[in-house]
Amino acid sequence: MMDSLMPLMVIIPIASALFLNLLHDKDRTIKILAIVTALVLPIIPLLTGYGSHYFGGYAPLSQNSVIAQGLPAIITSTQLFVFHPGIVYVFGSAQKVMIFVLGIVAFFAIFTALNETKKPSGVYTYLMFMGTAAATAILLSDDIFNFYVFFEIAALAQIGIVIASNVKNNYETALKYIILGNIAGPLLLLGIALLLGVTGNVNITDIIYSIKNGYVNPQNPVLLMALALITFGWLYGSGLPPFHTIKSALYSKALPHGAALIQAITVFIMVALGVMILRIFSYLSFSKMAIIAVSLLALVLSITMAIVQTDFKRTLGYLAVGELGYIGIGLGLGTTLGITAGLFQAINEAIITAFLFIGFGTVLYKTRISDTRKLGGMMFENPRVALLVLLAGLAMAGVPPLNAFQSKLMLIQASVQAGVPELGIIMILLSIVTFMTFMRAFYIIYMRPKPAELEIHDYKIPKATIISLVAFLIICLTLGLFPQIATSNLQTLASSLV
Amino acid sequence: MSVYDSILKRIREIQGKTEEEEPLTNISASSMLTAEITLISSLLIALIMVRLISKTLMIVLVIAVFFIALMISPIMPKLMREQNDSFSNMIFYIVLALGIIVALFYWGNLNV
Amino acid sequence: MIISAQLFSFFTAGSLVIIGIFAALFLDNLIKKIIGLAFIGDGANLFIITMGYKPGGIVYIFLPNMTISNFAQNASYPLPFALVLTSIVIGASTLAVMLGLVIVLNKRHDSLSASKILGDESD
Repeated sequence: MMDSLMPLMVIIPIASALFLNLLHDKDRTIKILAIVTALVLPIIPLLTGYGSHYFGGYAPLSQNSVIAQGLPAIITSTQLFVFHPGIVYVFGSAQKVMIFVLGIVAFFAIFTALNETKKPSGVYTYLMFMGTAAATAILLSDDIFNFYVFFEIAALAQIGIVIASNVKNNYETALKYIILGNIAGPLLLLGIALLLGVTGNVNITDIIYSIKNGYVNPQNPVLLMALALITFGWLYGSGLPPFHTIKSALYSKALPHGAALIQAITVFIMVALGVMILRIFSYLSFSKMAIIAVSLLALVLSITMAIVQTDFKRTLGYLAVGELGYIGIGLGLGTTLGITAGLFQAINEAIITAFLFIGFGTVLYKTRISDTRKLGGMMFENPRVALLVLLAGLAMAGVPPLNAFQSKLMLIQASVQAGVPELGIIMILLSIVTFMTFMRAFYIIYMRPKPAELEIHDYKIPKATIISLVAFLIICLTLGLFPQIATSNLQTLASSLV
Repeated sequence: MSVYDSILKRIREIQGKTEEEEPLTNISASSMLTAEITLISSLLIALIMVRLISKTLMIVLVIAVFFIALMISPIMPKLMREQNDSFSNMIFYIVLALGIIVALFYWGNLNV
Repeated sequence: MIISAQLFSFFTAGSLVIIGIFAALFLDNLIKKIIGLAFIGDGANLFIITMGYKPGGIVYIFLPNMTISNFAQNASYPLPFALVLTSIVIGASTLAVMLGLVIVLNKRHDSLSASKILGDESD
């Protein structure tokens, strides 16, 4: 019974997205429908039972005695007997936490979007729901081709959110992103095709079964090529170098609530693809080394670039990309503690970055300016929002008792345990620099005397924005004080990957 | 010339091209300097991990990179110019990365 | 035949991908760039279709007078064809979005040159 709720996590947002798209000029209907659906998103994963869902009812023959009866030995005595013939969704405790967090971020992003824009747009909400649905499906899917399909849908939804933003140069950035996506996407597909060619399968569990049980030579060069191409697709999907410039530009060209959602989608795509790479290819020690190398590069390049930006949205964009490096290091360490810490960091980052984007979005809402050279003195406008933004920045830098402190501490412990304390030192160093970067932006925008020519509109910041910020703060505090809530759920997935 | 002076000079050069009216503030100079130090120090710390492969190689690399970094600093302005938003730049690095990844994964795995 | 049809098809797919990457890198006209990108996608699709090809294989429809083992041994592999169908649809939709963006940008900049439209923002 509970099992049938699983596909609803994807179906509900898609169905309501398609319906919202049809509504025009019915502002009230759009608002109510969007908020109700968005509220359902974080609730369904809590109600769903763990297990697998076979689309179309195509369970493996070994679990399906009716069809298995009377089949010849050529099928029943080979590995065909255990293979999954249809698309499979797998829902475990880790997926539950991640989809719940994605739902929370999506809800507050949509909630603020509906209240900050003058007129609720059905198309914009459509794009936000589509992106959320795609990221949810990517987290659930155990089928690499299904993965690829939703990967492309997520990319299109992100581009749509940017196109809808009306920020200067957003079309140019969107075109750049989609062109790069059209190089990386087909190459990811080619990687999947190579896996299909070698193992005859697109189901991840079956691919692993074939590799582990000697039906496929694990050192087959075609598998190495597939790993390379899938890694390249992973870099694009998560915005790790060399895609960090375009990804941060994408964040800075979206509206604050759009950026908050895009980064959450990106974080979970990164986690899902990273976990998939680890599941299939963890027997090649090279794959983990590559993940660590790319993550380090992301950390260093993005955070150094974040310091020198003059547009605070771009600074935030680079910081968001840089924080992905922590997740990657956790995954690349390959130990249970490391992977748990990486997944925990992913959850924390999705929340904190959304918190920051929406918090700094209030500055944009009041001034329409994102150039830090022209800003200042925002503290006197609204000290309460300034305090919330400050707390968000402290959370990102990893100050106790907020959540990223717990995950970064775990990451450092994991790196020491794995015998590479250097990674821990670099992570501490870059946390300090992150904090400095944030404080610099905060000082310039909020505390420095207000420039004479700066014009502050006296729109009142919507209540919805304040509610979202406070809610994010409460989640940060809860996860910071009781990290077991998340880590105990993530541990099962992490230990299955080692 | 000290690193700080040469960084100031570089920033002036870059800013001179685009917006001359903007004064060079303390904040932008100090952030450039922070970025520079962060970059070099994390690179050096990361290089210590080479010890897992070979200890002598690690020592040689750390010393070499340290001196190279001193010689060619400031690195950050150059790095900033390379990581701009120009599409041709982006696609160049992306195809380069594709080449590196495929080559490394293919030959690295077969030969390690 | 000197080389088999399947091998020839694989080579075609590979050259399509390479031509596409070349076009995306070196051609300045946005429309030409996008045609190149379509080539990369088509190359990947052709690659998948070619994998499903089985020399001497039969259509994967189980007819009443067949034995199961005969069918299992000779039917070609249906999965790649199903996948390609989906992938073509995805390719078409991204192509549409790209061309739509080019139309808007062409109106705004009055040009199709990538270096002009997609250059660094500060200029």
